[in-house]
Amino acid sequence: MPDNEATLEIQHLVRDLKPGDGDLLAALHRVQHRYGYVPAMAMGVVAKQLRLSEARVYGAATFYSEFRLTPPPRTLIGWCSGPACRLKGGEHIRGVLEAELGIGMGENTEGDAIGLHLAQCNGTCEHAPQVWIDGKVVGPLSAADTVRLVRGLKEEA
Amino acid sequence: MPTYDELRAAADEAWKAVAAPPRPLFVVSINTSSLASGVDETLAALRKLSDAGAGFDVMQTGDTGFAWAEPVVQVVKPGGQAVLYGHVSPDRAEAFAKAALGGIATDHAIGVVSGTAPGVPALDSLDWMKIQTRWIMHNCGVIDPEQIDHYIARGGYAPFLAATKLTPEELINVVKGSTLRGHSGSFFSTGTKWDFLRTATAEPKYLVCNADEGDPGAWVNRVVMESDPHMLLEGLLLAAHASGATYGWIYIRDEYPLAIARVTRAIEQCRERGIFGADALGTGVTFDAEVVRGAGSYVCGDETGLISSVNDERGMPRIKPPFPAQSGVLGKPTNVNNVETYACATTLMRLGGEQYSTVGTETNRGTKMFTVSGRVARTGCIEVPFGTKVRDLLAAVGGIAGGRPWKAMQQGGPLSGVLPAHIAADLPLEPEPFRPLGAGMGGGGIVFLDETSCIVDLNVMTSWFVEDESCARCTTCRIGNQRMLEILRRASRGEGAATDVDRMKSLAASMQNSNCFHGQLSPVMINNTLQFFREEYEAHALEHRCPAKVCAGLIRYRVASQHDGVEAAAAICPTSAIVRDGDAWSIDDGRCIRCDACRDVADGDIVIEDRYTDVIPLRVAAPADVARAGG
Repeated sequence: MPDNEATLEIQHLVRDLKPGDGDLLAALHRVQHRYGYVPAMAMGVVAKQLRLSEARVYGAATFYSEFRLTPPPRTLIGWCSGPACRLKGGEHIRGVLEAELGIGMGENTEGDAIGLHLAQCNGTCEHAPQVWIDGKVVGPLSAADTVRLVRGLKEEA
Repeated sequence: MPTYDELRAAADEAWKAVAAPPRPLFVVSINTSSLASGVDETLAALRKLSDAGAGFDVMQTGDTGFAWAEPVVQVVKPGGQAVLYGHVSPDRAEAFAKAALGGIATDHAIGVVSGTAPGVPALDSLDWMKIQTRWIMHNCGVIDPEQIDHYIARGGYAPFLAATKLTPEELINVVKGSTLRGHSGSFFSTGTKWDFLRTATAEPKYLVCNADEGDPGAWVNRVVMESDPHMLLEGLLLAAHASGATYGWIYIRDEYPLAIARVTRAIEQCRERGIFGADALGTGVTFDAEVVRGAGSYVCGDETGLISSVNDERGMPRIKPPFPAQSGVLGKPTNVNNVETYACATTLMRLGGEQYSTVGTETNRGTKMFTVSGRVARTGCIEVPFGTKVRDLLAAVGGIAGGRPWKAMQQGGPLSGVLPAHIAADLPLEPEPFRPLGAGMGGGGIVFLDETSCIVDLNVMTSWFVEDESCARCTTCRIGNQRMLEILRRASRGEGAATDVDRMKSLAASMQNSNCFHGQLSPVMINNTLQFFREEYEAHALEHRCPAKVCAGLIRYRVASQHDGVEAAAAICPTSAIVRDGDAWSIDDGRCIRCDACRDVADGDIVIEDRYTDVIPLRVAAPADVARAGG
């Protein structure tokens, strides 16, 4: 999509948001919801709409861990970093995910097929230790379960 | 706009279908925990049967707190019998429906809510329920959280109407007199806080609801928002009347999409019925609110961090004064409370001060919600009177899973500390008794540890968390947490130095000078560990040994017997660390990442042992020895 077309689309996306009204997070969420991430050019459009400096928008976009600045993978594996998971082998699962995929947290495999995201506890601790595949809780998982799960995802990818 | 009486009449009419259903009603709990257990498919299966003429109706509700039994379904029969069922997984939904319609689905029965059912215990007779006083949770798992009529039919918004007959000062005095304090873990007097806003001179005044429940292992606010969002909104209206605030922001963390949806919907319903907007229900109170969706930042749980975040800034806590009551959102006077606190204000006004005082302790009347997780038999959310003993709470959730010994409790998120079982057992759950121990009670999350858990490993996790979530404004917090984490990680690998404990104590002392609670309380876990688990810490740091055999740097895997299982283990190993030399399998220690996948398929054939067995432990020099050596 040419840049000016994208600009128009983002302008349309945030057209009802106002300066000085506490709307920056909402603007960034809308952009990420539409594109799966917050493209650099979107920050300029949002800054203009909310009459903020681009630096301030960038500052916020990078401060919060849920905003991505790069395109998302086709399959996103969220790894829960919470305490109940930790006590039940969460670190084992992290080790398996990173070793099987050959990437670290926050990275995507070749061609953005599968990505790892460090997720925060959402209180579904009866399923600990768990991962979230595209937002869906999968658990409790043993390390061996995780190996099988990831190998299956790699085959599908 | 309709009057309250008109709203109530319509609500009572709508509620009849639930209270006295004409045919069996299946009430399905839809919440984040049950969705993780596949309840969406259970619901679809039940709806399909219902649509196909199976002779029952289906309704959704929020969260019963029974996370351990999800998916949970309550079946209400026309005669008044109501039974709570658990573990209604999608594949068993059809058989369950048939059994429950014909009589009692014995395999799934948890307890009888009303009426009688032979062979099924009364719900209130279960250990899980006996300990509870469900006041804040009185609608949880009872009403459809997306139906304002259900809330009103159960008495909702009447407490607000009654409270507006009081002057703001009188209402504040009622709240002060109740001992209600911030349930987020701060335990600052709610009435006093509201009075700060009432007496602020600038206009307009704002309310913020902190629903950025970031403590890992805590989800009490999620339960309230997903089960009874109007109870939160009514609490905001009470605070609005008390303080003169006219607008509010409910800041909900990104991890709670269902709570965001339900609170947003509840706000719309309030606007449609004239409960939000100008002259709410003819009381003269004008108030409206919106939801702000967070984006993943723990320090936004600090009230000034939260305000910064609403103000289009990075969510960095700032220096006080000015306090939020003087300058908060958009520079205007602002009051911040969390979800449970606002909901508790509603509860107080619903019950009245006298009844509210019948449970709890002298200094902390009423109840507190807790979420219990970790190595317990039953994970879930429960509400108990303040002052309930920790050992009773643990017994109510079925104790430690598998009957293993209880080792410790990590309460209130990573800033509140970790306490050993022998001290925690008799602690009453209220903030004061925790303080002399150098700990806090926190906002409601409690994680129980058993003997398989390693305190140093848990500390590495919480230290990483507070380091990662530091906003980095204060050097003491930014660098202090980095150094703490480095030292702990070293210790967990057996590379501790004799001087580390003094170093950590010195860092902890300097971190007290941080601006906000995040920096000040970051060392609490480590201080607790050095005080209560010193032996375990020293076993790691100085003796190169992890007693629970958890810390990856201090263990190794060994093939103990050459059975067939090892071949399967070699196939599952993600790093191909299990290698064969002739007929013998062994583990290439350099490749092994200690993920434990091999033991999942070949437990017994592959064992964990101490990595270092021939190391002479370092000895910590007592301060007196150091002085002598130096002098």
